[in-house]
Amino acid sequence: MSEIKVLIVDDEVEFASTLAERLELRDITAETVNNGKDALSTILVRPPDVVILDLKMPDLSGLEVLHGIKAHDPSIEVIMLTGHGSTSSGIEGMERGAFDYIMKPIDLDLLLEKINQAYEQRITAGKQP
Amino acid sequence: MNVFNRWLARFLPEDEYGVDDASGMNKRYKKFRLSLLTTMLTISMLPATITAAIGYFQYRDLLQTTEKEQLLWNLEGAQKTMQALINELHSSIEFVVREDRCDEILDQDTLDTMLIRLKLKYNGFVDLGVIDSRGIQLTYSGPYKLRGYNYRVQEWFDQVQSHGFYVSNVFLGYRNIPHFVLAVSKKRPDSEDYWVLRATINADTLQNFISTINTKASDDIFIVSRTGKLQTSSHFFGNAMEYCPICETSSPIHEIFKLEGGMGDVLQVSAPLENTPWMLVLVKEKYIHQAAWSSFRQRLLLIFLGCSAACLVISYSLSTMLTNRIRETDEKRQSLLTEAEHSNKLASIGRLAAGVAHEINNPLAIIDQKSGLMQDLLGLTEDFKYKDKFYTSIAGIQNGVGRCKAITHRLLGFARRMDVILEEIKLNELIQEVLNFLEKEAMYNRIHVELHFQEDLPTIYCDRGQLQQIFLNIINNAIDAIGKDGLIEITTKLQESDVTVRIKDSGPGIPPNILKHIFDPFFTTKAPGKGTGLGLSITYGLVKKLGGDITVNSEVGKGATFEIRLPVKPDKSAKES
Repeated sequence: MSEIKVLIVDDEVEFASTLAERLELRDITAETVNNGKDALSTILVRPPDVVILDLKMPDLSGLEVLHGIKAHDPSIEVIMLTGHGSTSSGIEGMERGAFDYIMKPIDLDLLLEKINQAYEQRITAGKQP
Repeated sequence: MNVFNRWLARFLPEDEYGVDDASGMNKRYKKFRLSLLTTMLTISMLPATITAAIGYFQYRDLLQTTEKEQLLWNLEGAQKTMQALINELHSSIEFVVREDRCDEILDQDTLDTMLIRLKLKYNGFVDLGVIDSRGIQLTYSGPYKLRGYNYRVQEWFDQVQSHGFYVSNVFLGYRNIPHFVLAVSKKRPDSEDYWVLRATINADTLQNFISTINTKASDDIFIVSRTGKLQTSSHFFGNAMEYCPICETSSPIHEIFKLEGGMGDVLQVSAPLENTPWMLVLVKEKYIHQAAWSSFRQRLLLIFLGCSAACLVISYSLSTMLTNRIRETDEKRQSLLTEAEHSNKLASIGRLAAGVAHEINNPLAIIDQKSGLMQDLLGLTEDFKYKDKFYTSIAGIQNGVGRCKAITHRLLGFARRMDVILEEIKLNELIQEVLNFLEKEAMYNRIHVELHFQEDLPTIYCDRGQLQQIFLNIINNAIDAIGKDGLIEITTKLQESDVTVRIKDSGPGIPPNILKHIFDPFFTTKAPGKGTGLGLSITYGLVKKLGGDITVNSEVGKGATFEIRLPVKPDKSAKES
């Protein structure tokens, strides 16, 4: 089964759910959680291929969640969502293991491209070892 | 120290925010300079004046004392001389009235001989008379017929009887010639009775004698009775027998007074002559106006004037210099304050803008996604009556979101800490590149761009992207300002260690009230929706971040000139901020 499983982590419920719905329309399995804790517990139960992770969240921040995900399974790819149009926090996420970053409000086509790239990376990385 | 500070604060120009009109401040500085000058002059001149005054009076006193001593010494000499004369007259008479001669001189011939002898010695002797104890003149030798004249009731007769010797004041008598009387009384050896020898002497004798002792040290020497009647003539107070009120005294005096009609002060000293009713008086006029005194005064005045002039010059230049220094410092501080205030304001507005942008970004993302979803779903739905309308509506929403996105991105870009990537940049080439972007727009609007590039401009180390944004913003603004038909002049030049780029447009110019706010975020004069009001504030932020400076000069009707100054090599702070 080549269907990509995506986990969307964003405290903005409406944003997350709408994005999930749009991804579903494009044959991508998308699940949403609204905080870092739920994200970390979900990847234990239903490990996704790609996580779309908001940088700015209450409780656990995006970078902390990134650290948790990579600690659990380094092969899960993470695309950071940066709210404040700054490249620096996105770059910081990439330095800590994120696959890429994308600025909010997002361009869906660009996101799809990045998701596909991330998925391919995961597949090739999974085959290598 | 507190008192000093308070005193200083009273005339230092006050630092008032409200007073920024130049004439008010000028008045303040003028007042300050004047106060400073006055204070400095007072401080410097006071000791000099006091010293000069002390010197003046001290020296005058010294001169006065010396002169007075000199005059007193002269007086003493004159007194001795006069005393000697009187003693001599006395002893001459005494010789005549030796006790054993009483009967001898009762003889008229003997008395005549005596008078002739005395006259030989002193020409002033006029007559001689022998008087018995009852006061009757027994014998008389002289020009008048006074034999048998009774002196009993006259006062001098009592006095000579009790004292043995008597000198009268000068009087006119029958003859109407000033003369005085000398009388000696003797006891008869054979009885208790007294007899008296009376001699009349012309006052000329005194006058002649006193004239011989007239010294150079004094201007006037004369004898006066204790009641103030002149016995000899005085240079200042009149002839003999006249009354001199100032001289009326019976004790030694030395005083200074103003002589009526005379030249300044006069010093007068006097001493009594023993066994006479007379006082010897010496007067010195202009006693202070000696060469020593006048030359001292001249020198003192010269030194004092010199000191004053020096003080004035030094105080004036010092106070002027100090005031200018303070004014410069004040102005510098004021401009620094204004600048700091401005960048502070920009920074806080930037932070606020970033906050707002960030908050708006999230709902914007939701709207964006929702409209996207609607578009997706519409694509899956069969045609219905208003499907096209839905599509155009969604496109409208997305267009609006796009504009909002642009604003928030620029806002965030304005506030965020951007990484500055330094590289070697040829500024002339960079501006040319930027112009390539805008060429078409300029051409459409018939705007001519004139370039005055300094060919050998050094390469600068700067961030290419940010520089592009800076010039794009300003040139774009210039095109907007001109509208149609106009000229943009771009000049590059090396000034000291900075490269300056001047962009001058022929637009309508910027009114002063707008000029003040031109770098404020959200400030725009363009129609709503046409501009965000962020272009120039972002430009300002970028230039500052690159370690440069941007200024604008404009007058209504004369276009606007933006001048951007960029360091050839930015300092470290530019990289960090």
